[in-house]
Amino acid sequence: MNQLRIADGSVYDPANAVDGDARDICIEDGRIVASLPDSAPRLDARGMVVMPGGVDMHCHVASSSVNVARRLLPEEHSRHPATAPLLDSATEAPRSGADGTVPTTFTTGYRYAGLGYTTVFDAAVAPIMARSAHSQLDDTPIVDGGFFALLGNDEYLLRLVDSGDRERAREYAAWVLASVGAYAIKIVNPAGVELWKRGTKERTDLDTALGSSRVTPRAILETLVDAVNTLQLPHAAHIHCNNLGLPGNSATTLATMAALDGRRAHFTHLQFHSYGTTPEGRWRSAAREIMDYVNTHQHVSGDVGQVMFGPATTITADAPVEYLLYKSSGRKWANVDIELETGCGVVPHEYRDSNAVAALQWAIGLELFLLSSDPWRLVLSTDHPNGGSFKSYPELIRLLMDRTYRDEQIARVGKKLLAGSALTDGLGREYSLSEIAIITRAGPARMLGLRDKGHLGVGADADVTIYMPDDNRATMFSTPRYVVKGGVLTVEEGHLRRAPTGHRLYVRPSYDQSVTHDIERYFDQYGTVRFANYPVAGLRGSPLPVGAR
Amino acid sequence: MTQPSVTGNVTCLGCGCACDDIEVVVASERIVDARNACQLGRQWFGDGQVPSIIRVDGADVGLEQAVGSAATRLCEAARPLVYLAPGLSCEAQREAVAVADLLRARLDSITSATALIGILAGQEHGSASATLGELRNRADVLLFWGVDLEARYPRFASRYAPGPPGMFTPEGRRSRTVIAVDIERATATVDSDVRVAIEAADELAMLTALEACVRSPDASNNLTSLAERSRNTARELATALLAARYTALVYDAEPDDRSVRTSARFEALTSLGQALNDRTRCAALALRAGGNRSGADSVLVAQTGYPCAIDFARGFPRYVPHDGTVLDILRDRDVDAALVVGDPMGISSDLAHSLSNVRSVVIGPHASDAAWGARGVIIDTGIDGIHVSGTALRTDDVPLPLRATLSAPRSTAETIRAVASNVRRTLLNAHDIESKALGS
Ligand code: SF4
Ligand SMILES: [Zn+2]
Repeated sequence: MNQLRIADGSVYDPANAVDGDARDICIEDGRIVASLPDSAPRLDARGMVVMPGGVDMHCHVASSSVNVARRLLPEEHSRHPATAPLLDSATEAPRSGADGTVPTTFTTGYRYAGLGYTTVFDAAVAPIMARSAHSQLDDTPIVDGGFFALLGNDEYLLRLVDSGDRERAREYAAWVLASVGAYAIKIVNPAGVELWKRGTKERTDLDTALGSSRVTPRAILETLVDAVNTLQLPHAAHIHCNNLGLPGNSATTLATMAALDGRRAHFTHLQFHSYGTTPEGRWRSAAREIMDYVNTHQHVSGDVGQVMFGPATTITADAPVEYLLYKSSGRKWANVDIELETGCGVVPHEYRDSNAVAALQWAIGLELFLLSSDPWRLVLSTDHPNGGSFKSYPELIRLLMDRTYRDEQIARVGKKLLAGSALTDGLGREYSLSEIAIITRAGPARMLGLRDKGHLGVGADADVTIYMPDDNRATMFSTPRYVVKGGVLTVEEGHLRRAPTGHRLYVRPSYDQSVTHDIERYFDQYGTVRFANYPVAGLRGSPLPVGAR
Repeated sequence: MTQPSVTGNVTCLGCGCACDDIEVVVASERIVDARNACQLGRQWFGDGQVPSIIRVDGADVGLEQAVGSAATRLCEAARPLVYLAPGLSCEAQREAVAVADLLRARLDSITSATALIGILAGQEHGSASATLGELRNRADVLLFWGVDLEARYPRFASRYAPGPPGMFTPEGRRSRTVIAVDIERATATVDSDVRVAIEAADELAMLTALEACVRSPDASNNLTSLAERSRNTARELATALLAARYTALVYDAEPDDRSVRTSARFEALTSLGQALNDRTRCAALALRAGGNRSGADSVLVAQTGYPCAIDFARGFPRYVPHDGTVLDILRDRDVDAALVVGDPMGISSDLAHSLSNVRSVVIGPHASDAAWGARGVIIDTGIDGIHVSGTALRTDDVPLPLRATLSAPRSTAETIRAVASNVRRTLLNAHDIESKALGS
């Protein structure tokens, strides 16, 4: 019997309306239970802050594209070697690796757990590359993990959009998810990646036609968003809008939101999509317009994609953006067009606080956070490692919780660079611990439809993080005192001690079997992988439920 | 003789093409046919017979004893090496990296001897590439740069490009312009529309000129490093490439000694591929040979951050591509025990010769055929992809399943894992004894 009582901590469990109350959290066999006998082992958490384990709903940690980035960065890895943690000898052998903006697999798992995160999703996996994503997740210890399948530029889907056959498109989407063991559907720059592969380097707007006038970002988005909602997948369609990173793109973002009005949809790394232009054609923040929309539309959720000053690595399926970044920054560039499905681009990047664009990006992200009226619908991300590393989350939390500190940073960056940002006209809000618990665990878990995560109610997975309060919130959140994952005490007294294997989080929606005949014919006609060799078998654990709650 | 059984959709690891449409016919526990496979592929499948010998220092022993001896010898070594020969599934490669990490060993693979120069160029500058299906479906101009497709990648042309029709190349071969560039003896063996022959000494100048023409049309007037005739060739090639909607630049990542293997050459190829994207689209493909070599790179990168030439001596992986490849360290005699995993027949004779001076543990199919390992520990295993299922990567990193069509007494992956857990136990015991000694 594997039991643990976390006694007397200040519990922040917003999903169950617990806001800092002194409570015991009882754990038995990996789950939260109502009570335990007094004889059960105790962990004295008096004076400490107890939260559910962190949930990262959008990062890039386990995919062929992440590996393209890892391969591209030997010099960064050399500067950031990672020795193996000193784990208890009874557990799996600890592994060394490399750190930096794109850590190696084992190191990624250790670092996430070390920050109190117990669930992570890679937000962009080309279905044909799914096997590699699974094997990287297998090598990412401690955390439960899954990934989103890229479908917004999939040629087979585009054909169905062209023919207007939305039902078949939905069945196809279900077939892809079920075949490759993905958790959700991701749409990246719909039509825009395919246009890049066909040689276009212009912007893609919502009604830009891709070959046929019937195939537009709008039609792709409607088709996939409706598919996700009809299939009742646990997570909404996860949308990376067109024109990422371009000045004036807020118009595209708002048009996309309006096009999907009334439908459940998740808009990711909104910071990268909230750029306006001044009458003189310069960049400006459009955070207010974006948040006015998000705040007043209940079906919409988002994550921020905060930019943090320092080194980053941009990794995205939005390959045309990477080409532009390569051209403008002169840094090295890797591109992989992934057959009939999507793209992949990688460019190392540095956000300097002396650079006007970077400073504005930093400010816009903070504005989005501070203007959000509902933490359940706008959650924390840096689009790791695009806007910054997940290891900078504690620093980001400090910026959100501590106005004095934030004002110092704003002053350091300087009013000149931040001109026109709402930050400089007194956005004084400070996030509370409960709100932080929402935007880092309860909120993402709810958005993802993970019923057993992000909260500490009876029956939940026993993923619990315990922090020692500190006025410096960055210190507090970067060094949890204890982290329990699935009932196993992984971090003890601030040290990683155990690295249990995580579970795979995926769905296996049912679909009309008859659609596979045509898919198979399509594979024979255009594919280079046999239809029979596309599905991934033998995943760890069983799929999560799909359907009405 | 029993009724033959046929398994379809089997992946071949005879070369990096990793054709996954092979129908393997088995009768009486033997492979009697590998339908759809080319000659090289048929050779790779063979008849599926592998020895099953387990020996320590020439004497037959049981598996447990061999695994124990292997672990002891590796633990006793001051400078152990873990070497990945070709022929391993990604699963086995992952186990091999784990044991290297545990042992604080050197870790290297076939890659350092064959493809490292090109990889370093890619790490310096990046690369513009694609998976092979994009070539099939989009490439309307293909430039084969001194790559011997017929001998080394026999079904490349018929499976990927230029042969098969694709979505934007509906007429297959007829939808495309194929340019073959022969660099002296390095013939681009492909059916071409245009064939250009250049001298090896001119290769770099030609690549540089091509890139200059691609980057700026005016550049073609002052390509002084080239003779008049070559200048015209460069101009014509650039014009043909720029006429493409989607160009593919295909070369060998592991060329034999018919080619000049300098970093400048690989940098020029990489750079040309990137430059073409300013004017059209281009994917450069550097082809890898058989035995899941790209898989090894990918696994090593995921777990250590580096594709090959790694040293764990300090408790973390260090990248030592310039002086720490297997050939360097064997030459410097900086290795006192080697764990070689995979097919030892895939090892070059140079390396085999150097290895014969080192205490070795060989785990892989045909381990017992490696004369240089006879004095060490030898554990024969089944062949990944024939006797053992798993995963392998195609030359473009597309992962494919490996299907077992025959059975074997043991797999390489599980044998390495057994050695690793023995090593771990030994190290933990040693550590215990040490701490007790310190404590008393
Ligand atoms: S081309 Fe390569 S992978 Fe395909 S059958 Fe021949 S040897 Fe095997
Ligand atoms: Zn992202």
